[in-house]
Amino acid sequence: MTLVREARYRLMKDLVLPAALRAREGRRRARKADPLFGPPLKSGAELKRIMARHYALARYAKGARPVAYVTSGAPVELLRPLGFYTLYPENHSALCGARKVGDRMALHAEARGFSPDLCSYARIDLGHAFSGESPAGELPPPDLLFCTTNICQTVMYWFKALAHHHRVPLVVLDTPYLHGGREEGPALRYFRDQMVEAVPRLERVACRDFEEGRFLAALESSRRASLLWGKVLETLKARPAPLTIFDAFVHLMPVVSLRGLPVCERYYEGLLAEAEERVRRGVAAVPGERFRLLWDNIAIWFALGSLARLFARAGAVPVAATYTHAWAETVQDLEETDPFDGLAKAYGRIFLNRDLAHRRDLLLTLAREYGVHGVVFHSARSCKPYSIGQYDMRGALEAQLPLRTVVLEADMADGRVWSEAQAETRLQAFFESLER
Amino acid sequence: MSRRAYAEAQRAAGRLVAAVLPARYPPEVLWAHDVVPVEVWDPPAPAEVAGAHLPPMVCSVVRRGLALLSASPPVDLLLFPHTCDSLQNLSTLLPDLLGERRPCLFFYPPRGPAGDCGRAFLLEEVRSLFRNLDAVAGEPPPHRLREAVRWARERDEALRGLYDARARGQLDAPAEEFYRAVRRTEYLWPEEASEELLAFRRERAGRRPAGVPLVLSGVLPAPMDFLRRLDERGLAVVEDDFLGLGRRFPRRAPDLPDDPLEAAAGRLLALPPCPTQGAPHSSRLAFLEELARRSSARAVVFLALKFCEPELFDIPFLAEGLRERGLPALVLETEPGGETPAALLTRLEAFVESLP
Repeated sequence: MTLVREARYRLMKDLVLPAALRAREGRRRARKADPLFGPPLKSGAELKRIMARHYALARYAKGARPVAYVTSGAPVELLRPLGFYTLYPENHSALCGARKVGDRMALHAEARGFSPDLCSYARIDLGHAFSGESPAGELPPPDLLFCTTNICQTVMYWFKALAHHHRVPLVVLDTPYLHGGREEGPALRYFRDQMVEAVPRLERVACRDFEEGRFLAALESSRRASLLWGKVLETLKARPAPLTIFDAFVHLMPVVSLRGLPVCERYYEGLLAEAEERVRRGVAAVPGERFRLLWDNIAIWFALGSLARLFARAGAVPVAATYTHAWAETVQDLEETDPFDGLAKAYGRIFLNRDLAHRRDLLLTLAREYGVHGVVFHSARSCKPYSIGQYDMRGALEAQLPLRTVVLEADMADGRVWSEAQAETRLQAFFESLER
Repeated sequence: MSRRAYAEAQRAAGRLVAAVLPARYPPEVLWAHDVVPVEVWDPPAPAEVAGAHLPPMVCSVVRRGLALLSASPPVDLLLFPHTCDSLQNLSTLLPDLLGERRPCLFFYPPRGPAGDCGRAFLLEEVRSLFRNLDAVAGEPPPHRLREAVRWARERDEALRGLYDARARGQLDAPAEEFYRAVRRTEYLWPEEASEELLAFRRERAGRRPAGVPLVLSGVLPAPMDFLRRLDERGLAVVEDDFLGLGRRFPRRAPDLPDDPLEAAAGRLLALPPCPTQGAPHSSRLAFLEELARRSSARAVVFLALKFCEPELFDIPFLAEGLRERGLPALVLETEPGGETPAALLTRLEAFVESLP
């Protein structure tokens, strides 16, 4: 890390980028109010500023900070004390999907022989690696790849391909799947031991010692941010809901990408205050809320806006989601006395790493707590661990609660498998069934 | 005798039968409990039956597996090694949402490089499977596990011998016959399997049928019709890196510990590199190159199973790496069952004609 690069990084971080982003905001015209929705969240502007700065600053990180590409379910708290600049390929691919360039970027990977049947997040990210193309501007290549299999096995294959392409070390933390009837102790111990075993490798890449004090501070920051995020989601129990799950999908970004950093905590303090204020004042995210819904699976990023309008027209408000809930579900486990034990439990027990009986119970709990009338299952072509089992999950939920359910066949980031007209027809029929 | 008939005969003889989904598990602990593992790779069950439960992007191995298990095959328990996301979800879908009542056991082979904690966890998984089988099948006599470890060693030796003979050009067996014989190890009791393999090698000793020597890689040599087509076209399969075959026995006799459970775990660690366990491209490339070198193969053909992520993610870099090393590679998308599409054969013929 050269002094010049360090100085440039600090200059950009503390002076140039904040000023540039403020100036850009000043030039931006206020968006016209949409009568389908309540007043937009003020925190939205802060979210844009934070995320824009995060991606813009990444350009100056190389040489000033070690750069790590990280999976969304990885215990990033291990990287914080070592000063890694962290980028989340899943988050970047979601961004590409939302900007509707996912299909084009995936083609770069498909041209290199990667099957169009593979995960679209992975194809988009590999497309970025091969082409350098990104709607977020230039992103630095990684010095380290940091991957945990608690969300899927796919990330391991994908990060292995990145390691091959970038010729950089790959650290895989293996998190055995937790079946309900089995003792979880050995699996969590194994996960914990791998984290301890990984620290010297991380230190070598970062050229820095792992300081326990900084590690504990990151852990505490992460815990507080996840708690705040959980409280934000709880405000959606109010009637009318102060924001929708479509909003939450977007406001999820900091807890995914900036966990363990003070900026993340500050952001959610502001968002929580705003959401609570809206509840107090009875501000509805969707005026005339009629039906409350539960969403299962990742967002359909490229259709988020059109779906939000379609739902709002019917007075249907998604108020809970297994996906957004994932970053708050196991936060209490971080309170363990041994920080590595806490990490192993918090990250090893997330619902995607647990059996479908646990998922069914989680869906039932969310459905009851949020008072939902129906469940929308997004069957994501790219995401097997999330989608396999949904067809039978419908029946399991309908048998226990008076709910209507619907399955939307789509993808999170590849618009080529999406038919807006078909989805609209299916959802209209679903909304009609909620009337009965 | 078909797999089903064999399973029925084994049950009639007093053994328990376990349906075992792909791919890696310690068969020794099942044999020790007098349980016959009958592996479920590409059963003739109609994959469409699974359409009511599985979304379209699930591979045919999992679809056929679910179709078979839903049709009440003659098995007493199910074993799900954790191989990929699809098999992971199948392992919970059946008992948790589809009401499977037979005992379901799980086995998780660790991913990534086998560091100290990976080795310790693997041993714990083998022990746990052993204990769970005690609960289902009763505790075996003390010497039985040691005997089962010996059966595994003998079966591996027989497989190695057969594969070595084929690689050296000393086996007069077309691909279809070779794989019919080898795939019987997926369900035969180990002593029978070893005997059959040794007999096959003895009976078919001779010169390899003339033809362009190829290494195949993928999940399975499927469809079987494809092997016949290779034989007809004068193409000789001389080695393989199939998940279900060439990657499931140690290519060199491993030095195993005396403790039988540690030996069962050690055997798994000695298996060739596999993407399902996160093997890096470099080790897979080295393995493929070694297979081609020892068998004098002129090219590698990847039979890519649609929707199989562990395989599909590796293939582009492997094919590129082989080409850089002067070994031509071809990728063909195939599915178990049915006949080989003509377009696929045309591609193969054009590839073979272009070989230097």
